[in-house]
Amino acid sequence: MSENFIRFQKVTKDYGTVRVVEDLDLDIARGEFVSLLGPSGSGKTTLLMMLAGFESVSGGAIVLDGQKINDLPTHKRDMGVVFQNYALFPHMTVAKNVAFPLEMRGTAKAEVASRVQKALDMVQLGHLSDRLPGQLSGGQQQRVALARALVFEPRVVLMDEPLGALDKQLREQMQLDIRDLHHRLGLTIIFVTHDQDEALTMSDRIAVFNHGQIQQCASPREVYDHPSNRFVAEFIGETNLLEGTVSAVSGETLSLTLPGGTVFQSHGLAGFRPGDKGLLSLRPERIDIYATAPEGVNCLTGEVTDTVYQGDHLRIVIETAAGRIIARINRKAAEWANGAKVTLGFRAQDGWVIAP
Amino acid sequence: MKYAKAIYASLIVFFLIAPLLVILPLAFTSSAFLTYPIPSFSTRWFEELVVNSVWSRAILNSLIIATATTALATVLGTLAALGLRSQDLGMKSQIRTMFLLPMVVPAVVLGVGMQSLFVRLGINSSYWSVIIAHTVVAMPFVVISVSGALTGIDRRVERAALSLGAPPWKVFSLVTLPLAMPGVLSGAALAFATSLDEVVLTLFVAGPNQRTLARQMFSTLRENISPAIAAAAFIIIVGTVLIALALMLARRRRG
Amino acid sequence: MTASSRFRSPGVRALILIAPLLVFLGLFFVWPLVTVISQAVSDPAVSRVLPQTAAAIDDWDGEGVPAPEIQAAFRADIVANTDEQAMGDVTRRLNSSKSGFRSLMGKTVSAVRETPDIDLAEVDKRWADPVFWKAIQDNASPYTDAFLLASLDMERDSSGSVAAMKEGTSANFTILMRTLWTSALVTLCCLVIGLPYAMIAASVSGWKRAVLLGAVLLPLWTSLLVRTAAWMIILQDNGIINQSLMGIGVISEPLVLIYNRFGVVLAMTHVLLPFMVLPIYSVLITVPGNLMSAAASLGAHPVRAFLRVLLPLSLRGVISGALLVFMASIGYYITPALLGGAADQMISSVIADYSIKSANWSMAAAIGLILLVLTLALYAVYNRLSRDPVQAR
Repeated sequence: MSENFIRFQKVTKDYGTVRVVEDLDLDIARGEFVSLLGPSGSGKTTLLMMLAGFESVSGGAIVLDGQKINDLPTHKRDMGVVFQNYALFPHMTVAKNVAFPLEMRGTAKAEVASRVQKALDMVQLGHLSDRLPGQLSGGQQQRVALARALVFEPRVVLMDEPLGALDKQLREQMQLDIRDLHHRLGLTIIFVTHDQDEALTMSDRIAVFNHGQIQQCASPREVYDHPSNRFVAEFIGETNLLEGTVSAVSGETLSLTLPGGTVFQSHGLAGFRPGDKGLLSLRPERIDIYATAPEGVNCLTGEVTDTVYQGDHLRIVIETAAGRIIARINRKAAEWANGAKVTLGFRAQDGWVIAP
Repeated sequence: MKYAKAIYASLIVFFLIAPLLVILPLAFTSSAFLTYPIPSFSTRWFEELVVNSVWSRAILNSLIIATATTALATVLGTLAALGLRSQDLGMKSQIRTMFLLPMVVPAVVLGVGMQSLFVRLGINSSYWSVIIAHTVVAMPFVVISVSGALTGIDRRVERAALSLGAPPWKVFSLVTLPLAMPGVLSGAALAFATSLDEVVLTLFVAGPNQRTLARQMFSTLRENISPAIAAAAFIIIVGTVLIALALMLARRRRG
Repeated sequence: MTASSRFRSPGVRALILIAPLLVFLGLFFVWPLVTVISQAVSDPAVSRVLPQTAAAIDDWDGEGVPAPEIQAAFRADIVANTDEQAMGDVTRRLNSSKSGFRSLMGKTVSAVRETPDIDLAEVDKRWADPVFWKAIQDNASPYTDAFLLASLDMERDSSGSVAAMKEGTSANFTILMRTLWTSALVTLCCLVIGLPYAMIAASVSGWKRAVLLGAVLLPLWTSLLVRTAAWMIILQDNGIINQSLMGIGVISEPLVLIYNRFGVVLAMTHVLLPFMVLPIYSVLITVPGNLMSAAASLGAHPVRAFLRVLLPLSLRGVISGALLVFMASIGYYITPALLGGAADQMISSVIADYSIKSANWSMAAAIGLILLVLTLALYAVYNRLSRDPVQAR
């Protein structure tokens, strides 16, 4: 596996006076599944479009397998692209659609037929090869688009919110299918999405975008548990944010003093020094609720103001001296009535301190 | 209220359609006059169109001129519509307005200008002058129709073709053009119909040898109203309906 | 940037695609219209035959007898001219400005040809009178507003100021007014018939809507000549209407329905109705169907709901439709030519007659220019309206 199969080096994109991607660096290894995640307008799709060659690069370089491809025309890039609306050729049958990239490469007729059949079988659509795209369901169309993007064994597969138009159940099925294909075929996949669950489920690494820059690029676990800044902490999953002052640093554990005087022990970003302002990000599901405070955990008392039943868990809203805190409690735990006085607790390794 | 609405709508539908229905049966009259009642059924006026060299020549001229006009207007209009699709073209709306203006400018004014210009260029009263004049007024229909078809094409489909390894000219010939084809065809049909029905410009730029069917109908209506008019009208109406049906079928086939 | 990559740039590629049509329209659409404009304002008769005189007399102050150089230029022009017919045109033109030129020019031309440097005042003492030189000066310019004025039944009197022509000499202005009036009438008819029709079409659905729209579109697709011919068949003295009315004994003599204003307005209304219905309809279908029910649920009486909700919403379509119909009407030729009598001819017929029958290009062009300007002004308004969706109220 070669590291840095795809390299973005100080890539910039301007539309007129608007800079949508700014000085962006990103390296992707061969065989890696990288999701580009961010709100709309954050530059993630633009980056993909530049990689595919649909958009010109305003500054910097995109390097593929050691070759700078800024000015390489799209049709010579050898990348399979899957679009959100499938972008199938409406006037060609399913088989013709899938055969298209092979025909463009001058593949022999007999080989085209067998590879098309194989690709369609791979997505379980071998029996629909003579249909027109308009006669297929959304999920089937997306499978055809996938087969078409994979059949010519492209160097990279680019997916632009490919599952956005599907309903929830189908989307989850396709997520598993794509992950499976990724493992089986050893594909390099770059996957644009604004759906964090999708990114967490599928990716080797997630690049979180905002304002044309990558805020953090790391494994799903790292991005979720150890966000690099406030934007990432808030954008991925739900979190409670408590502001305070770092009072001591010992190894990876920080002491954070809240305005009310409460002191928490928590893990956090490196580089904090006593006296710095810090922001504690506390995931709701990492919080426990006790009737009485146990030893060895950070504690905070408060009053339950609302409980929302959500099937597999309860969402509990608690007013504390440090502000409103939301906790997710699994159903086996006891239930609390509104107005009940409770004690919240979390372990140092379940908190994460970032710069405010 | 509801009945009033229905009656009103039926009356206007009648007003709109009845004149077209009135003229059709008269194509088969045996009488020498364009009046009802029809004494007996006859195809003599269709025979007249074929046998009388004035009419048959006019029909032939119309076919020649309409075919050439259609070809010219379709090629020019389709290319222009493709160009207008680009986002990088400056003054796009001005250019589009310019392309539509021939539909707006009164035909008589355009005719006066064309006549004196064509006389000066030495091409007046030729097939070329008529074909050029017809193309000027038929072209906007092609531009509108093809532009409409092109806006219906998802650019991502063309991008997909590029990404799958098709060079731009193949994207055009394998994807864009086939998808725009219904628009090109209806544009061509409209151009053909426009040329077939054009009278005013023809009056100015055609010589006696380029007398078209429409021009011949116009002078017949002015001088001696003969049932040959109804026969010619019958052919035009049936032709229009056939072309419309063919287009609808072609469109349905494509899904 | 290399040449080939510049060729590949999308803007340039688009320009290459539209270039053929731009060139074609430049040659065969713009150039003819420019020809019309230039013909309407140019009057080269005098300046072509007497070029040196025209140049020399341009800054003469009109006082006393012109300087010898001007007289010399005039003589030189006479000697240089070989086109007798063109000289005849000049004489006629000058004579219409100042009578007496006919004899004066004849005399002068033969005298100057014999003795090129003869003193003009010796040839005829009228050359000592500045009035005759003034006539030459007035006509020397290659441009004139005479045709444009004449198309509005006006002319310049001897003092050079604009005045109405004598009653009965020209009917151009009358016909222009008649054209506007007839067009207004057609527009009104289309509006009165078309607005309720479009509202009904927008309020129904399914096959009903298909029938109502089909009835509008079918005539639009049918040849204009065929439709005009159909009206001739219906309206003529022994046509369907007269036959049936006489058949049931309502009338004993056929009504005159054709070759008068009634026939013209009726047939034009039929022909142009789609242009009124379609814009109104396309505005109305964008109005949510439950808007009237919403108004009713808020307590509005149906008539009130119509006046306060539906009518204002359809106003943009009404204005577009009215402009389209009016614009098409003022330039109409075929229907008035076939269905109208002599007193119903519109401005297009006048233009066609000037150009085809009497070969008076200048007048044809001048009236054409007025019609062109009128149409383009209306189109500009229409274009403005149809582009600006905020105009809804």
